[in-house]
Amino acid sequence: MVAVRCENLWMIYRSLFSEKVAIKDVNLKIPRGKIYGLLGPNGAGKTTLVSIMATLLRQTKGKVEVLNLDNLIDSKEIRKRINIASGNPNLIWSLTVYENLRYYAMLYGIYDRRIVENLIKEFELQEFRDVEFNKLSTGNKQKLILARAFVNNPELVFLDEPTKGLDPPIAKRLREKISSMQRDLGITVILTTHYMGEAEMLCERIAFINRGEIVAEGTKNDLKRMLKMRDKIRIEVDSEIPQSKLNIEGVYMVEKDANQYYFYVDSVERRLWEIAKEVSKFAKIKNIAVREVDLEDVFNELAK
Amino acid sequence: MSSTSLRSEIIKTLGFTYRNFIITKRNFFTIFETLFWPVIGLISVGLMSTYLDLKNEYFAFILIGAVTLSILQVSQLDVAYVLLFDVWSKSVRYTFVSPISSWNMLLGSWLFGVFRGFIAFSILFIASNTLFGIDLLIPLHCLILFLFGIFLSAKIIGMITCSLLLIFGYRAEIFAWTLSAIFMLICGIYYPVSMLPESIRTLAYIIPLTHFLEYYRSFYGFETSYPNTLQIGYLLSFFAIFSLFIFHLWALERARKRGTITQFSE
Repeated sequence: MVAVRCENLWMIYRSLFSEKVAIKDVNLKIPRGKIYGLLGPNGAGKTTLVSIMATLLRQTKGKVEVLNLDNLIDSKEIRKRINIASGNPNLIWSLTVYENLRYYAMLYGIYDRRIVENLIKEFELQEFRDVEFNKLSTGNKQKLILARAFVNNPELVFLDEPTKGLDPPIAKRLREKISSMQRDLGITVILTTHYMGEAEMLCERIAFINRGEIVAEGTKNDLKRMLKMRDKIRIEVDSEIPQSKLNIEGVYMVEKDANQYYFYVDSVERRLWEIAKEVSKFAKIKNIAVREVDLEDVFNELAK
Repeated sequence: MSSTSLRSEIIKTLGFTYRNFIITKRNFFTIFETLFWPVIGLISVGLMSTYLDLKNEYFAFILIGAVTLSILQVSQLDVAYVLLFDVWSKSVRYTFVSPISSWNMLLGSWLFGVFRGFIAFSILFIASNTLFGIDLLIPLHCLILFLFGIFLSAKIIGMITCSLLLIFGYRAEIFAWTLSAIFMLICGIYYPVSMLPESIRTLAYIIPLTHFLEYYRSFYGFETSYPNTLQIGYLLSFFAIFSLFIFHLWALERARKRGTITQFSE
């Protein structure tokens, strides 16, 4: 079952004197009932892609199906079944928590006040029910934005950097909330984020987008495997090693930071001895540490 | 349309009425717009007319202009604000990601504009009588027809502002406060349109507001430019609303293609 399908998708922003390609021939199938991550550096096209899927933006070329409906033909029907929450917590300033939720519920044709009251309770906003939006803390604003996204009981929710700028403890609680809501309701969540830890914690599948193109797609392990990056060996030495001597079999990439060398390898068991032997020919090894490659390493590589 | 979906459409429309009501209730500035400026405008024009020692019918002619300008300004602002509130709070994407139609927005906000406009009219109507002894009462059904015509004109101006916002972005917000004054200038706020240069007069005749003003003033002995001025006013209004609705849909589609909606939210 597919929640969103993009085929040969292009988005080109045109003005009188310029043209900017924001999305370049994207093909994507996002499965239903999972949290799907869209990762990429600033300006990669994540928000543009999400905006097209959420019918806020019309693509220049290509086909997009959301919940098996064409985004250009059935946009109103799609809007009934989706919702969106952004990391920029902006709602009508002078409306209270209750009034904001009630207003947005009405835009979905919902008049039942109990739905609004339940959301306030679900997102632990009871204490702030009658507080105006501009008087809320950033964390509570973000909670309200998230609560708003569930006002229509959507099948698909787009979360565009939902924990941006939040304190770590609040961000952690929001992530837990997203995870539990997704699990309990069985909905599809499409999450864009900069935070690799967030993607690693929440997402079952991930697409990396860079300069408008999907550069990799799959599960976390798929992505690491795809880049042949499984382990990372950090070796601290007392002097520099000639670059030409670092071409060791099974080493995918080497990074240098002062007197530390990072070797990205396919298998630590197979490569550690050989690397240590080679390095020790040119410098004295002071320290060795090994860890598994994480999404941040994959991201850094793909964002190059 | 089934009764469930009709109910849903009504709720969506009233959502915008609800929001405008709450913002007005909480915002001192919008209460000021409804009460302060209209009354100031009426008093200053009334005092000027008293000083010039105008005959009652000319006094009424001038006051009708002042009252119309005020209710037009107050009512059209609600329609223009329906998008501006979202633009100012950078929440445009949340409105447009919901399954609403343009007519839900434009109708819901206009309903509250009618309410605010009616309050403004009532205050000015009483003030004209008590402060200057000028009775603006005409047969009730004629007064209702006049007011409804003015409210339609307010909708027309609000729709133009909303569409221009979608096309030109933030730069177009100025139209929310200037368009009604320009319209009144063309349509004969304190003078008959017959004294305007011919090209502007032609423009005035295709604006429904001109005909509604002439209709009200006809009860004080002033001639209208056309015999069926009220019918012409309504015909032009419905034509303008229909055409502007199409224009608004085009502007919205253009905004979706160009990313204006997402830009408004950043």
